[in-house]
Amino acid sequence: MTKMKKTSQICQSKLPDNTALKQQQLPAYRLQLSATGVLSGFFATGAFCLGVGIILILSAKSIKEIEIKYTKICANCAELREDAINFDKECTCSIPFYLSETMQGNVYLYYKLYGFYQNLYRYILSRSNSQLVGTDLKDVGNCAPFSKSHNGTPIAPCGAIANSIFNDTIILSYNLNSSIHMEVPMLRSGITWWTDKYVKFRNPSAINLSSAFTGTAKPPYWSKPVYELDLEDTENNGFLNDDFIVWMRTAAFPTFKKLYRRLNRVQYFIEGLPAGNYSFNITYNFPVTRFKGEKSVVLSTLTWSGGSSLFLGLAYTVTGAVTWLAAFSMMAIHLMLKEKRTLFIERFETERDRA
Amino acid sequence: MFCSKKKSLEVERIVKANDREHNEKFQYADNCIHTSKYNILTFLPINLFEQFQRVANAYFLFLLILQLIPEISSLTWFTTMVPLVLVITMTAVKDATDDYFRHKSDNQVNNRLSEVLIDSKLQNEKWMNVKVGDIVKLENNQFVAADLLLLSSSEPHGLCYIETAELDGETNLKVRHALSVTSELGADISRLAKFDGTVVCEAPNNKLDKFTGVLSWKDSKHSLNNEKIILRGCILRNTSWCFGMVIFAGPDTKLMQNSGKTKFKRTSIDRLMNTLVLWIFGFLVCMGVILAIGNSIWENQVGDQFRTFLFWNEGEKNSVFSGFLTFWSYIIILNTVVPISLYVSMEVIRLGHSYFINWDRKMYYPEKATPAEARTTTLNEELGQIEYIFSDKTGTLTENIMTFKKCSINGKIYGEADDDMGQKTDMTKKNKPVDFAVNPQADRTCQFSDHRLMESIKLGDSKVYEFLRVLALCHTVMSEENSAGQLIYQVQSPDEGALVTAARNLGFIFKSRTSETITIEELGTLVTYQLLAFLDFNNIRKRMSVIVRNPEGQIKLYSKGADTILFEKLHPSNEDLLTLTTDHLSEFAGEGLRTLAIAYRDLDDKYFKEWHKMLEDANALIDERDERVAGLYEEIERDLMLLGATAVEDKLQEGVIETVTNLSLANIKIWVLTGDKQGQRVAQHWSSTLDTSGLLETAINIGYACNMLTDDMNDVFIISGNTAVEVREELRKAKENLFEQNRSFSNGHVVFEKQQMELDSVVEETITGDYALIINGHSLTVYDQWFITLFNIVYTSLPVLAMGIFDQDVDDQNSMDYPQLYEPGQLNLLFNKRKFFICMAHGIYTSLALFFIPYGAFYNVAGDDGQHVADYQSFAVTMATSLVIVVSVQIALDTSYWTVINHVFIWGSVATYFSILFTMHSNGIFGIFPNQFPFVGNARHSLAQKCIWLVILLTTVASVMPVVAFRFLKVDLCPALSDQIRRRQKAQKKAKPSRSRRPQTRRSSSRRSGYAFAHQEGYGELITSGKNMRAKNPPPTPGLEKTLYNSTSWIENLCKKTTDTVSSFSLDKTVKL
Repeated sequence: MTKMKKTSQICQSKLPDNTALKQQQLPAYRLQLSATGVLSGFFATGAFCLGVGIILILSAKSIKEIEIKYTKICANCAELREDAINFDKECTCSIPFYLSETMQGNVYLYYKLYGFYQNLYRYILSRSNSQLVGTDLKDVGNCAPFSKSHNGTPIAPCGAIANSIFNDTIILSYNLNSSIHMEVPMLRSGITWWTDKYVKFRNPSAINLSSAFTGTAKPPYWSKPVYELDLEDTENNGFLNDDFIVWMRTAAFPTFKKLYRRLNRVQYFIEGLPAGNYSFNITYNFPVTRFKGEKSVVLSTLTWSGGSSLFLGLAYTVTGAVTWLAAFSMMAIHLMLKEKRTLFIERFETERDRA
Repeated sequence: MFCSKKKSLEVERIVKANDREHNEKFQYADNCIHTSKYNILTFLPINLFEQFQRVANAYFLFLLILQLIPEISSLTWFTTMVPLVLVITMTAVKDATDDYFRHKSDNQVNNRLSEVLIDSKLQNEKWMNVKVGDIVKLENNQFVAADLLLLSSSEPHGLCYIETAELDGETNLKVRHALSVTSELGADISRLAKFDGTVVCEAPNNKLDKFTGVLSWKDSKHSLNNEKIILRGCILRNTSWCFGMVIFAGPDTKLMQNSGKTKFKRTSIDRLMNTLVLWIFGFLVCMGVILAIGNSIWENQVGDQFRTFLFWNEGEKNSVFSGFLTFWSYIIILNTVVPISLYVSMEVIRLGHSYFINWDRKMYYPEKATPAEARTTTLNEELGQIEYIFSDKTGTLTENIMTFKKCSINGKIYGEADDDMGQKTDMTKKNKPVDFAVNPQADRTCQFSDHRLMESIKLGDSKVYEFLRVLALCHTVMSEENSAGQLIYQVQSPDEGALVTAARNLGFIFKSRTSETITIEELGTLVTYQLLAFLDFNNIRKRMSVIVRNPEGQIKLYSKGADTILFEKLHPSNEDLLTLTTDHLSEFAGEGLRTLAIAYRDLDDKYFKEWHKMLEDANALIDERDERVAGLYEEIERDLMLLGATAVEDKLQEGVIETVTNLSLANIKIWVLTGDKQGQRVAQHWSSTLDTSGLLETAINIGYACNMLTDDMNDVFIISGNTAVEVREELRKAKENLFEQNRSFSNGHVVFEKQQMELDSVVEETITGDYALIINGHSLTVYDQWFITLFNIVYTSLPVLAMGIFDQDVDDQNSMDYPQLYEPGQLNLLFNKRKFFICMAHGIYTSLALFFIPYGAFYNVAGDDGQHVADYQSFAVTMATSLVIVVSVQIALDTSYWTVINHVFIWGSVATYFSILFTMHSNGIFGIFPNQFPFVGNARHSLAQKCIWLVILLTTVASVMPVVAFRFLKVDLCPALSDQIRRRQKAQKKAKPSRSRRPQTRRSSSRRSGYAFAHQEGYGELITSGKNMRAKNPPPTPGLEKTLYNSTSWIENLCKKTTDTVSSFSLDKTVKL
């Protein structure tokens, strides 16, 4: 008897547990592509996409944007910059333009580069984050070929990105009438990411900035050292210079625009940029003709979704339309073939019943 | 624990008993075995070496080396290192655990104790310390420690019984037989200790059925054959003790010699995967070349001017060289196109599935308390793709429990109509009392009884008497009385047992035998017959006869055998009866019964004496002995008088009919290896196009029983292996599947199908999923390096795994009901090259959508704070997020069976993605590693932008919608069976009556022979020599009763490894049928 019990216990212990997991009986929902589900899903998605598309197109249309390419306009400056020998010769260029409509609300000033491959693999890597965060000025490890100057002192900020900084100065002036030319008030703040300004870029700690950067050399293409980038605002120097930070956030495509300034909405400009005559006064430093590139300045307003282009709206509209088209044709096919089908399963079952 | 290692090649082995010193000179391996592969020191190098032999690992090592070259290193080393290390560690851990268990089982085996004769004393010694030449004592039911030469045993004439199930899978007992000179030693320790015979024999080899050697002892030589050897792995049965001398030990034993290296079995999916990986690699190289050419052109046209500007003091560079470097860079960047994680996913999924198999209660066999066991994880998915099943018949398809069902005596059928319920009850009412009244010694297990037959016996029908006499006399059964005084038969073939028991129940009770007499009780009177000759069974003769002298002094030859053979030997006067009996036989065979014809012959004294003289002369011959004897047998077994035929039922195992029917519906071809017709192996194959008329076997009856065959069906053919070359080809082709399928089938549980179904669907989907995401993901180079590193491993692997493991495309009931679901698997419709290219196309489409939609949308766009959003890092984050979402939606769509776990994994992996994203882009981690995590603040800024979410949404819609549309149209236009079943399943979710099985209709016509006889040659000799007879109470019946024992795992391991050997054994088994 005891033996029997024992064996039955053994039997019991060998019997697999009767849990839902082990017996593959977990409650489950079966996903089924039913005709109504799929078709209504398609119609709904299509409607949604069309709606979003139209809204996006409309809001994109509402954006006011002005772009002025100035490489050709400032041809003489461009020519001058072809040759690096002339690096210390200043060249300015004034571009008058007429704003026919008021640019309502916030207005942003961008510079835009064509054909500048900021996404080049080696270019992107050519920087030192640990230097830029101020912890280790001597860390120029990834910055080749701009890691050290000819005499071996480390470059700060090192690397190809920093070296190739966009260094034109753009000033927008409003010509109230033929005699009064006033500089449009622009804000430099708020053009960078908060994390960039306060986390990613830090100046080395020292009593003053110039002493902090002793023992380093300025990038070869720079005319001034990093601690003298902004002579007006001492806080805007070193690695914390806003233009520098903006430039260091490399663009994904060879054509890109970067935020340069934003309109300070005071006095005449509370509503935005009023219609009228303006001119850009540009100190032309950045050479683009050498790589067959172009430069432009852009003034733009925004909508709820940002400075969106037409593409996204169009893409949504097209997707929505295609989805609807697909839904209609699927419905047609489904209804047409519904009658004709003899399902294999039914054939099989009749066969089986016969057998 | 270390075992001594082997030395040079051995030509012949010389072993001297009880002389360790002498034997040590030869440095024979000791009895320590090690199936383990590594030890602590060798583990790392050997395991790493093995792992890097896998193409995928080697490839990634190569990549890693490429990445260490700074000129071309486009990704940092950790992108390759992390997954590679992960994969290698996982595999290493698995290998280490496996090996640990091997070590453990080795240890356990090596430390088993056995009694060894050392210094003239029996001492307990660990197995591993047993040396060649030692004399070992074995006791009943013990495992044999090494290959032994049997010296003596408790049984008379030095016989001993062994069970070789662990070696060849046969469960019947085998007899081993010591030399008479050594069997005299008995259990006399002092004499055994003085035994100093020298054995010269063959070198260690793996032939389990062969042994040649010579024992020299006391100036005489005795030849040794396999009959005198007990192999390691056998179990001693029904023998209280025996002594043996160790000939081969440890790794030299035949068992270990058979173990060999584990051959890694690959499934067709593995092979396909390897091909596809090669293709992907080719694709990668092509991409690399195209991109490199593009790079050269760009460098030439644009980059040149750019370089001076951006790269300062670098000299002019050759654009071709730059292209060359770019090629390697792209090989590195695109490396994840080659799916290393796929191999890992496959492994994990297989492991999961094998657990499900082990856990399945529906595959639990309560009678033996055994759950299903998936012994290997490498072949799971192949379960659903079986095309052929090779099955042994007796004991596998049938229960191997024989019951006497019917007989035809002198042209009359007895034991009719057991199908009819009414008659059955009728029969029990009428007959059982009669039966017991006549015969108190009836074996109640035997069901046969027919009132008419009882009547005939009462009436004294001499033919009936003679018929029953044959049954009671012509056999090799041994009788004995158990403690309760009941008669018990020891049978070595269950067929004979059934026949003798039938005779017993009908009043002709076989009581006892000596080597010269057989005593039976004929309707209450004891009659002793003199046994004059025993014409033993063998496969060629297919019959057996005894020549006896009855008390009246008449000499009779009683014969039973295959109808086709016996009918040729009949006296011409039997013609009418022959026709009648033949019809009866066909009928029996049609019902799937095993039949034997019964005949006798009266011999006259003089003729017999002459014949007997000749037989004795022939037996004395050395050359051509067998031929002469066979000739003499032929000579006397003629002019027989037909008595009738018997029909024994070997019941089909429970569920065989349903199983076979389902299998055939699933288009799985079944080959049954069964008894032979003309000394040839015959395999039967139900499926193709040949007529059934001629040669027929009982196996076909199974076919009939299972409704697989009908008379006009042209789809059975019988292969006789010696003739058709192309058949052999096919056999060979199918051979590799043999073992495992045999195994799975003999489990006998149909429920597998569930798993099988799941498996193949799942594997397909896994791969689809994986390929899709791999191709999607990595044709692009804009991702964050960490993203590339983690993408396959963390973000998307778990949902794929969950789907792979938990998905069920149809439920178990339906997969049983619709066996046709298998066909797509067999035809490789679920995962094939075409599918793969569709996946590729899908992947390419998705990657285009993933790239160009964000590209277009970002081209000239500013964020809602006016800042530009099209910076490289934001673009990367957008794409990565879109990708993860697209892939998750894709997997969600592919998952047709959403369990909690799927939910957790799919949602969880999206959640994991975001949490990892935010962690990596966090200030804290940047503060610690500013150079490694330059994406600080990115997730926060980008994902706060409305336009980025709009882009992600559009990308998802654009890449998922076409897939849904195609899938819907496919299901709608040409639905696969599984789709239909799923649809139906959903509809019928509530009311589900269990489908009633079709009633079985049995065939009962057509001429065929159901001859079958599970018999072994050689017992006749034992009987006539009287060697297997004893006065004392013998141990339990061999063959029938077997004590349950736990077969130890190491032996299983070994058996597993000997796939080839075992499969050849299953072929060999046919001989005994």
